[in-house]
Amino acid sequence: MIELLGIGKSYTRTALETVRALRDVSLSIDRGEFVAIVGPSGSGKSTLMNVLGLLDDPSDGRYLFDGKDVSALGAVEQARFRNARVGFVFQAFHLLARTSALENVELPLLYSNDQHIDGRAARALEAVGLADRMQHTPSELSGGEQQRVAIARALVNEPDLLLADEPTGNLDVQAATEIMRILLSLNGAGRTIVLVTHDPTTAAYARRIIRLEHGRVAEDRRVSALVAK
Amino acid sequence: MTARHVMVQALRSMHRYKLRTFFMMLGSFVGVAALTFVVSVAQGSVSGLVRMVKQTVGDGGIVIAAGGSRIGGGAHAGAMRLTIDDAAAVAHEVPGIDAWDSQAELRETIRHGDVTTMARVLGGSERWSRAWGRRVSRGETFGAAAVAGASRDALIGETVARRIFPNADPVGGEIHIGAVPFRVIGVLESFGTDMHGTDRDNEIVVPLTTLMRRLSNRDAITAAKFVASDPAQQDDVAAAMRRVLRARHKLDRDQTNDFMVLTSSGMLRNVGVFERIALLYVPLVGGVVLLVGGIVAATLMLASVNERVAEIGLRRAVGARPDDIRRQFLAETAATVVVGGVGGVVVGLLGVQLAATRFPLETTVSWAAVGISIVSSIVVGLLAGVVPAHRAARLRPADALR
Repeated sequence: MIELLGIGKSYTRTALETVRALRDVSLSIDRGEFVAIVGPSGSGKSTLMNVLGLLDDPSDGRYLFDGKDVSALGAVEQARFRNARVGFVFQAFHLLARTSALENVELPLLYSNDQHIDGRAARALEAVGLADRMQHTPSELSGGEQQRVAIARALVNEPDLLLADEPTGNLDVQAATEIMRILLSLNGAGRTIVLVTHDPTTAAYARRIIRLEHGRVAEDRRVSALVAK
Repeated sequence: MTARHVMVQALRSMHRYKLRTFFMMLGSFVGVAALTFVVSVAQGSVSGLVRMVKQTVGDGGIVIAAGGSRIGGGAHAGAMRLTIDDAAAVAHEVPGIDAWDSQAELRETIRHGDVTTMARVLGGSERWSRAWGRRVSRGETFGAAAVAGASRDALIGETVARRIFPNADPVGGEIHIGAVPFRVIGVLESFGTDMHGTDRDNEIVVPLTTLMRRLSNRDAITAAKFVASDPAQQDDVAAAMRRVLRARHKLDRDQTNDFMVLTSSGMLRNVGVFERIALLYVPLVGGVVLLVGGIVAATLMLASVNERVAEIGLRRAVGARPDDIRRQFLAETAATVVVGGVGGVVVGLLGVQLAATRFPLETTVSWAAVGISIVSSIVVGLLAGVVPAHRAARLRPADALR
């Protein structure tokens, strides 16, 4: 499904200093995989996730999604791609304050041209076990519940790819376990998941671990057995 | 994203950031309220003034008032120098005059039985009705014989009638003006309030001769009224009157007039000056307030964009195009400013109604002012939103989510 060919990403921090966040990254991810991208701070994990989600343009290389080159799309096509094909889950949840869980989940539907959106947000919330919390605002929800709302929002347009950037970083162990179980069952249902984490416990849920160091792929290994939790 | 969705999102954001919305609304609210109020009041006042000028002086009317540069008030230089002979000489020597009359006035206690009131007492000849354009609604007016014989006949205004004849027909009744008994022969047609705020129904008209001999014991008049046969010529007629009066009063070149000549066209010119000030400069001030409000709204919205970087990033991540973000912030700014503006219109109009109960104002709602206010607040709102919306749309999603 995903094929990265020699992806590089440089930032110009000052006139003299250019940071090369990604150097010549080539990898492919198949439909249905559960991939954890790990590595120390500054290794380029988040940059790689931004490139995968078209939140950031690579400086070099090509990005093929289902065989189509998406690295040269314009802003409007990028937006349509993110809306229809990618779901994002962030460490900080990024829910709209003073807005109900249901309205938060409906947000991606506003930006899609699909007219058949009735009930989809409610179904997505039911799927993450928040059927009775739909009218609650983020401040009335626990951290774990907020992240479940964010997962429902990521799934509401039924994307091919779920990108999760440190989804458990702001959560306690119990809530984190809950979130990872949800991701695991989503993967079990066939959803492709790419997870960025620096936490080995969280990474252990994945079936493939890609370690980045200094912007390069240092290790790419498959974990055969599921961690039983 | 449909237009409806954009508006719904804008309204939700306004609700979410109530305090900011409130301050953003304040500028357009105050500006539009001031604009609506002032323009409505000014238009009401102008049409009222025009009506009153027409009522007081009439089309083609020219009034000569005793004393220079002041109307009404106490005794002042020259006030005693205007005489019936002056008025008669003007009427005789200046061509183009249809009708004229001289008038003297004083304030006196009016008594009927044991009820007393104060009223303005005017003296006129049998020509007063034609010259001043006033009539009696009940009874009759006095004729030439009454004036020649200085008869004690009185025409009383509606206010006087109501005060001293609360339950009776005043016509035929006896009243005392000061110590002198008069017979009421007619009731004046209602006039209302004049441009000085004086109740012109609290008046009594008696023959000028009677007023001079029995009440004031003076032979000076306070005013004379002339009707030009051609209203278009009234400025020329007024100039001729000034020359005649200056000659009769033997005024040197360096001496100012000890009388005033007021024409309806001259008074309407003054109303026009007032109208220009009221309808041009005052709305300009309202417009400046609106502009300042727009700048405040733009600044607050810009701060809001900086505060909501994560929200913008998230919206971009879930599929918002740069144009969606631009429209959202534009709609939010414009909606806030316009809601403030509409509130301003409502309060401005309520203010007009309130002012009308306390001051003699015509309560004409200026729909032009309402329209201009709302359109200009939409324009200001959209302009205020341009920079913040552009800033928001330009954010790169990866940077916004960092």
